Amino acid sequence: MKNANIGQIRIIEAFLAVLIIFSAFTVSANLPASRATMKREHLVSTGLHALMKLDEDGSLSRCIINQNFTALRESLSLVLPASVCFNLTVYDEQMRQVNTDVISNGGFSSQDIAFAEYVCASRNTAFRCYVIHLFLAVTA
Amino acid sequence: MPAVSVDTFFACSLMVIAVLSAMTGASKLLYPYINSSSGQNSAQRYEEISRYLLLNTGKPTNWGQNGQEVPETFGLAKSDSDIPYELDMDKVTRLNVENVYSVSYAELYSSLKLSDVSFRLEIKPIFQVIINLTATFAFTNETTYQFDILTEKQGIAVRSELTCYVIAENYMNNISADAPMGRASWNVTLSNSVRGPALLIVLARSIYDSRIVSFSVCAFAHNSEQPKSVGTFLRLSPLNHVLNASFVDSEVNLSRAYALTFDYDSALTQIVDNNESALYEIPYFLDPSPTIIVLTGWNHSEFFTEWVTYPQVPLQIGVDFANTMSLSNVFSYTYEVTINSAIYECTVLLGGPKD
Repeated sequence: MKNANIGQIRIIEAFLAVLIIFSAFTVSANLPASRATMKREHLVSTGLHALMKLDEDGSLSRCIINQNFTALRESLSLVLPASVCFNLTVYDEQMRQVNTDVISNGGFSSQDIAFAEYVCASRNTAFRCYVIHLFLAVTA
Repeated sequence: MPAVSVDTFFACSLMVIAVLSAMTGASKLLYPYINSSSGQNSAQRYEEISRYLLLNTGKPTNWGQNGQEVPETFGLAKSDSDIPYELDMDKVTRLNVENVYSVSYAELYSSLKLSDVSFRLEIKPIFQVIINLTATFAFTNETTYQFDILTEKQGIAVRSELTCYVIAENYMNNISADAPMGRASWNVTLSNSVRGPALLIVLARSIYDSRIVSFSVCAFAHNSEQPKSVGTFLRLSPLNHVLNASFVDSEVNLSRAYALTFDYDSALTQIVDNNESALYEIPYFLDPSPTIIVLTGWNHSEFFTEWVTYPQVPLQIGVDFANTMSLSNVFSYTYEVTINSAIYECTVLLGGPKD
């Protein structure tokens, strides 16, 4: 009688274990994949593409040399999708910050911030090189 | 139940819980790398395809200029261009189904040579120009129309400069204005001896970057019935700097033709005319702006104005993915592209079977 009870308990234990293992598999298979990395790469690509477009006819370096950061901010706001917010900083060859004003279209509400670095050369006879750091996020 | 069985049960349960927790944690950590690696690969593949469409010229490289030619390989880039993402004006124009020389989606799909990829292309100006006719003041000899013009990008005002043209029967006038806060009001006064319907064409340019341009056209009744929709009298198809005006009705008589850009305007020269169509030469303008071509004429006793843009944008071509999202992987990529020195927004949607 006693041995028979032990056998029953073992069967119940095994059954419960199998149940838990399968439920764990089921739960883990349905866990959402984190696409943060992909989103960030896409944002970086969008930011670099926007800067490249502005630099196409030299207007990017022209804005920096003329210290016309309002034009730079507004142009970037136009070429980037409306759902993307950005913060841009311009550095010279010695990595000293060039822009005195904040070049941004609003605060970041997202934790998921992408970073892009773009090197821009002036088209003047006096050659200058600028390093642009662009932080991007999708607005909530 | 003996104490030893209870101990064994709890011990086994703890072990099972510990093992399961470890498994769940490990699978949660590894899931993005294992399960979505194929998704990531396909996203990467689709992104490369979208770039390929915009960075390659296709074959033959000048397939856009010949209206009868179907590309052997599909690509929209301008040949001999040093600028990345610069698209050929004629290749883009041939994507518009309104154009008589348009290439069908089936032909484009075949020339892409990717049997598992469907696509959709949308090209439009970066911001919108909205024209509202707000008031009409009728006087004895003339009528004044009050227009409200908005320049905005998804509801956000765009500071811009405007060039407005008004065209009616034997009448063309233009004026430059500013929309400093993305809004301008403008009065159009037309003599009552002028026959309508009239056309108000607004070209807008960002004050910060002259390559960012947009436009809108508004037809309004003046000494006439309500204007009919575009394409009622003529089918206008620009290609390779020649405009083909196909008559919808055999009674159509053309009177004047204009080409308008932000900085320049010109009357068009007719090079061929017959009972079914007329051809006009489109001049090469230097400013980064779409060219708005306007033709005026008569159909029986009815005066009309018809218009088209060159490049013929905005346009959409390809598969409508709206109802197929659940059955396929659909990826959307947006690029700023250069067409005839002006910047437009190009969205490439690519889809294929779900992994």
